[in-house]
Amino acid sequence: MMRRSTRFSSVRVSGLYAAGPLLLASLSALLMACGGPAIPPQELNDARAAYAEAAKGPAADLAPAQLDTAKVALAAADDNFAKDGPSEKTKDLAYIAQRRAELAAADGGREKADRKRAAADKDFKNAQIAGLEGYQKTKEALAAEKAARVEAERKAAAAMASLNEIAKVKEETRGVVITLSGSVLFATGKSDLLPIAKEKLNQVAKALTDQGFKSIVVQGYTDSVGSASDNEALSMRRAQSVRDYLVTKGVPSEKATAEGKGASNPVASNSTPDGRAENRRVEIVVTPEK
Amino acid sequence: MLLACGGYPEPHDALSAAQAEVKGAEVGGANENPKAALHVKLAKDQIDKAQKLMGDDNEEAERLLIRAQADADLALAIAKEAKAQNDAAEASEQVGKLRKEMSK
Repeated sequence: MMRRSTRFSSVRVSGLYAAGPLLLASLSALLMACGGPAIPPQELNDARAAYAEAAKGPAADLAPAQLDTAKVALAAADDNFAKDGPSEKTKDLAYIAQRRAELAAADGGREKADRKRAAADKDFKNAQIAGLEGYQKTKEALAAEKAARVEAERKAAAAMASLNEIAKVKEETRGVVITLSGSVLFATGKSDLLPIAKEKLNQVAKALTDQGFKSIVVQGYTDSVGSASDNEALSMRRAQSVRDYLVTKGVPSEKATAEGKGASNPVASNSTPDGRAENRRVEIVVTPEK
Repeated sequence: MLLACGGYPEPHDALSAAQAEVKGAEVGGANENPKAALHVKLAKDQIDKAQKLMGDDNEEAERLLIRAQADADLALAIAKEAKAQNDAAEASEQVGKLRKEMSK
């Protein structure tokens, strides 16, 4: 069996100074060595360097037990070197010490990575939860929007239904036409609204504002009794009166206009009292929102 | 070293321990990482040498087996570290992806 204890060619002397705390042991080895200074074998230098490296890294905090094992192994190698120099036994101990140090470093690195991963997993979960909450919020917002739309439709339908009780509501090509009988709105020959008329117009205004619309035209009509110019003037005053009242009840003034149509477009015969009563009317033509 | 024949026992326990640790390192994925694989190889080489020396130089064989164990231990630790680092990087990447997905 060939022993390799005489091979020093690869020794790095600088390694002596690399490991400060271990210098004492090295010095004693130097002092003890007979026939000249004993130079530590490569294995021992490597072991010292590996230990110094491991002690700097995460192992110090995260793998202290393994680092301590490495320290003990290195001390055994150093002691042996101090006792009998760069012997085979010293090299073996150093070889093992180096690996213990590298193992401590690896365990420290693993622990560090494990923690990083745990933190990332936590982040992932939190992000998922945040994502779910965001999704939930979107869902809730959509549901609220839908509920609001349903409510608006219900209100509009209710408004129309309530109008039907006080006026005739008809859909025509020119828009939704709300017809109010002249006799409930005005006294004969007058254009001042009767108190009962105001109540009805309150409902009309409410229905219009609830439902929303693009514009309205209030048209006044008379029967054919009397002069055409008188009738037109009266129908205009009455239409204006209704239009102005609606504006005071929330109908935007820029969306509402008035027209006096006189005896034109009769809806019934002017030859009977009932027919004439029907012709005396105010129509509100509503152009719906697109 | 010839005096080792004087009665140094054959290191059977050290041999099976070293072999078991090499096996453990390989199962632990040591061959998938270059540095770990190097230490597996060092361990195996020393086990081979030790087996050849058994009977002739049991003391030397035991020395080699103890070194082999240290190498196999280290190989496993390196493999586990590499795996943990890989997992951590993957987990970070997943978080990044999820965040990106959510910010869309």
